[in-house]
Amino acid sequence: MSQTKASTSSKYRPYLKRLAIIFAVCFVVALVFNEVAYRIQKDSNDRSPQLVQIVIPAGTAARVAAGEPVPSIPPGVSFVQGDVLEVINQDSANHQLGPLWIPAGATASLAMDQPEKLSYACSFQTSKFLDIVVRPATTFGDRISGLSISVPTLTALVFVYSLAALPLDGREKKKKDARPAVING
Amino acid sequence: MKSKVVLIGVGIVIGLAVLSGAWGIYQRGYQMHGSVINPPVRAADFSLIDQNGVPYRLSDQLGKTVLLFFGYTHCPDECPGTLAQFKQIKQQIGNKAKGVEFVMITVDPARDTAEQLRNYVPNFDPAFIGLTGSQVDLERVWQDYGVYVNPQPSDLQGNYAVEHNTRIYLIDQQGNWRVTYPYGMESSQIAEDLDHLIN
Repeated sequence: MSQTKASTSSKYRPYLKRLAIIFAVCFVVALVFNEVAYRIQKDSNDRSPQLVQIVIPAGTAARVAAGEPVPSIPPGVSFVQGDVLEVINQDSANHQLGPLWIPAGATASLAMDQPEKLSYACSFQTSKFLDIVVRPATTFGDRISGLSISVPTLTALVFVYSLAALPLDGREKKKKDARPAVING
Repeated sequence: MKSKVVLIGVGIVIGLAVLSGAWGIYQRGYQMHGSVINPPVRAADFSLIDQNGVPYRLSDQLGKTVLLFFGYTHCPDECPGTLAQFKQIKQQIGNKAKGVEFVMITVDPARDTAEQLRNYVPNFDPAFIGLTGSQVDLERVWQDYGVYVNPQPSDLQGNYAVEHNTRIYLIDQQGNWRVTYPYGMESSQIAEDLDHLIN
């Protein structure tokens, strides 16, 4: 009985060994391929979450009231999920930037914790409106999940191909054939 | 002997991992929801009249947390929505609600008399406070709190709407503006912040 078991496991051992080698090679190949593809196709807005600071300079409210141009932020601001928007109000008037209300001389911050696209009122934009886009950030977890899809698939394909191209039975047979014949007598 | 050393080694590694994780959580601290004013700024004081005709001064409320918004009793959507949200928040914070004042300041003093507020605000919760005052007093409060008020032309029946901001202001026990919440913020998130602040 134990002999049967041993023979079964030794029968599958070459397959498992090959599968393990192919898995390791495919892991490295997929890792390199995914990373290169990610870097080539990467959206310029895709980055790690960070602190985004905006300063409202002194005299902004007076300049807006007088219809003068003010140092403004681009009308369509793009954020990454996890960014913290911090607005420093150096003006003597309260200001509003979308979801943030910043009393005169104070600083307000807001964590952008979910992807969304919103249009807000803004007290220091000439258009009086501001579009805020919060994009989902590509996280380490996303890249791991990419690998978890590509590595098993690639391993399966290469393994099946290798069995067709280099059959293990054939190799075993060749090995046997290569052995010198024992001549008795 | 060898396996004992391995076990101790594994134990040390796991212990260090747990400690570093706990340190990371401790360092992160509590993140308030909404727009956080940091450092907190002294909230503009005001003196208005509540629904019972009693003067209400913000600076007299030190030691209490005030959750405040601007609205009006004829408002069809956001104002009753916010008062209903206040009710949910009050339920969510349980006993701690004793230290919180839920306040609505009118943006429509022409119709929102003390009597009108008395017939409206307590329908949501008897402890809620509705404030009104003269046009001049209210205009100063609106300006201090950055509130945009724009009455619309009235219809044939004399009804009109008032465009206004829908932000909620959280004033802490020291009388400071601490956080503001845009309309639509989850009640549970505001309740969490209140719970944290009152702790």
